[in-house]
Amino acid sequence: MAARLKKLARLFALYARMDAQWFAQDTALCLVCVLSETLSSIASVTAVFLLAVRFGGVGSMNQDEVLFMLGFYTLSTGLYNLFFNGNNTGEISRRIGRGQLDHCLIQPLPLWVQLLTEGFLPISGCQGALCGAIITAVAAGRLRLAVTLPSLLLFLLFLLASVGVQVGMRYVASLSAFTHPVGSEEISSVMGNFLTSIGYYPLGGLPHWAQGLLVTVLPAGCLSWLPSMLLLGKSPFSGAMALYPLVAVLVCGAGALSFKKGLKVYEKYGSQRYKAMGHRS
Amino acid sequence: MKNMARSDTRQWDTAVELHGVCKTFRQKQTGDGLPRNLLHPVYSEIRALDRVNLTIYRGEFVAYAGPNGAGKSTTFKLLCGMLGADSGTVRTCGLDPLRRRIPLMRQTGVLLGSRTELWWDHPVISSFKWKKEVWDIDEKTYARQLDLAVDMLDLGPFLHTFARELSLGQRMRADLGMMLLHDPQLILLDEPTLGLDVLAKRRMIDFLKSLHREQGRTILVTSHDLDDLTEMAQRIVMLAQGRIAFDGSLPELRAVAGSARHVTVDCPACPALPGCTHLKSEQGRHTFSFNPAMLPVGDLLAAISRLPDVRDVQLSDAPIEGVIADLYRSWKA
Repeated sequence: MAARLKKLARLFALYARMDAQWFAQDTALCLVCVLSETLSSIASVTAVFLLAVRFGGVGSMNQDEVLFMLGFYTLSTGLYNLFFNGNNTGEISRRIGRGQLDHCLIQPLPLWVQLLTEGFLPISGCQGALCGAIITAVAAGRLRLAVTLPSLLLFLLFLLASVGVQVGMRYVASLSAFTHPVGSEEISSVMGNFLTSIGYYPLGGLPHWAQGLLVTVLPAGCLSWLPSMLLLGKSPFSGAMALYPLVAVLVCGAGALSFKKGLKVYEKYGSQRYKAMGHRS
Repeated sequence: MKNMARSDTRQWDTAVELHGVCKTFRQKQTGDGLPRNLLHPVYSEIRALDRVNLTIYRGEFVAYAGPNGAGKSTTFKLLCGMLGADSGTVRTCGLDPLRRRIPLMRQTGVLLGSRTELWWDHPVISSFKWKKEVWDIDEKTYARQLDLAVDMLDLGPFLHTFARELSLGQRMRADLGMMLLHDPQLILLDEPTLGLDVLAKRRMIDFLKSLHREQGRTILVTSHDLDDLTEMAQRIVMLAQGRIAFDGSLPELRAVAGSARHVTVDCPACPALPGCTHLKSEQGRHTFSFNPAMLPVGDLLAAISRLPDVRDVQLSDAPIEGVIADLYRSWKA
């Protein structure tokens, strides 16, 4: 166990160094990327915040609570980008659909270790997480939230759950890339777009059945709305505090099982299709 | 993890062992009309490998050849653990590639000619350092293998160049150098000379030969260029329609294919040579094939000496490409 953790730490450090090298080698390009990502992170949530300001809140949340939720969303999607945006480890259907898993299979590492570490971009991919942390901190200050160790741990647990839902759902969708590599090459990004385009809306105004749907089967509400409501002490329905981590665990488990099942297909049929682009660009 | 992997790196005498290996793929066929495609899709079965038995011992240099679709790449993928066999046994370095992929990859070097393992947006040396970390290569081995690769493959001039800026020949050399960094005992090369110019190809062949001769590495190589394969390898294994159609040395291959020889006569008009088959005439050089068993060389030369205006005569073996093309045609018939 200790050896495995040490190896993971060394691999994270390796990919951090490689990301830093990219920054050093092409600083101007990297700065432009960082700036545009920062603007994009802020712009994506601005519309909802402006609506909240204009109407004094949205869906049973006041404007500061909406800001807290948007901060949580930006932080969660930012962490996803920080850990899974590099080398298509999150958009895994691209690697499957392009026949690029072969590159992983010739490395003497378990696949989960490769997929957990290869996407780490601490320099070029940290803007979203930084913006999210700042927005969340500002919102927490305006709401005068008491920061205690248990609340901080709960916050971190919910962040982990939110990132887990994003990764897990992408991996569930990517199962089809094993059987239909051409048609499903982009399926994980389609799933990602679905989650992120709904994930920053306060869902309080929706009927209960729609809320239920969006925190279970299509868990876009698990990205920020449900955890923010729980952290703000406004549980939208009874049992939500237990349901949220459970959904996250189930989604992650389904993602892992889907990938494992897909690997069995890969083992049987392999991939007759190979695209050189995009694996390590 | 590291300790576990190290303990799996044990000695083996048989590098590759395939016993009764079958592998069949299904291909969906597009039929007439949408309803039929949706409700009753038609599949055809392609038997990529059909009861293949093959043993390669430590220290052998084996060429694995065959026409397109013969099953070469499928065999490679089975040996690397990228595919599972439908039936039969596959062992690489004494290990089951599917179940023991990680220890296997510590002692095996794989180069897929059409793909690169280099990091595209990084200098070549960064990819090498990446490999050192991922493969847990110790400093001593890394320094020794890096020196070897830089020296023999002449990587020095582009070691700090971005992989995306390399020519194809440079990229292949860099990939080969990277493949060697963990000092693999078994080397699997799929089309390593693909797309290389004459000079780059020569360098690659010389390198592989010296790697085998001086370091005793076990090498299994595929290529479409049969002249390259026959120059490199001691043993040639040929696949046809998923089965091993030939397994032996180059002289044995020539014997199987028939001992046809060529004679080229340099004279103004194309002569008639009884017992010979005219192949081509170019700028006063006329090439014929003949079978020495049917037409002794002495008789042939006597017949040529009686021809008027003969300026030169040249005898040669039939090119191996032609020999093998004839074999492929006979297997398909």
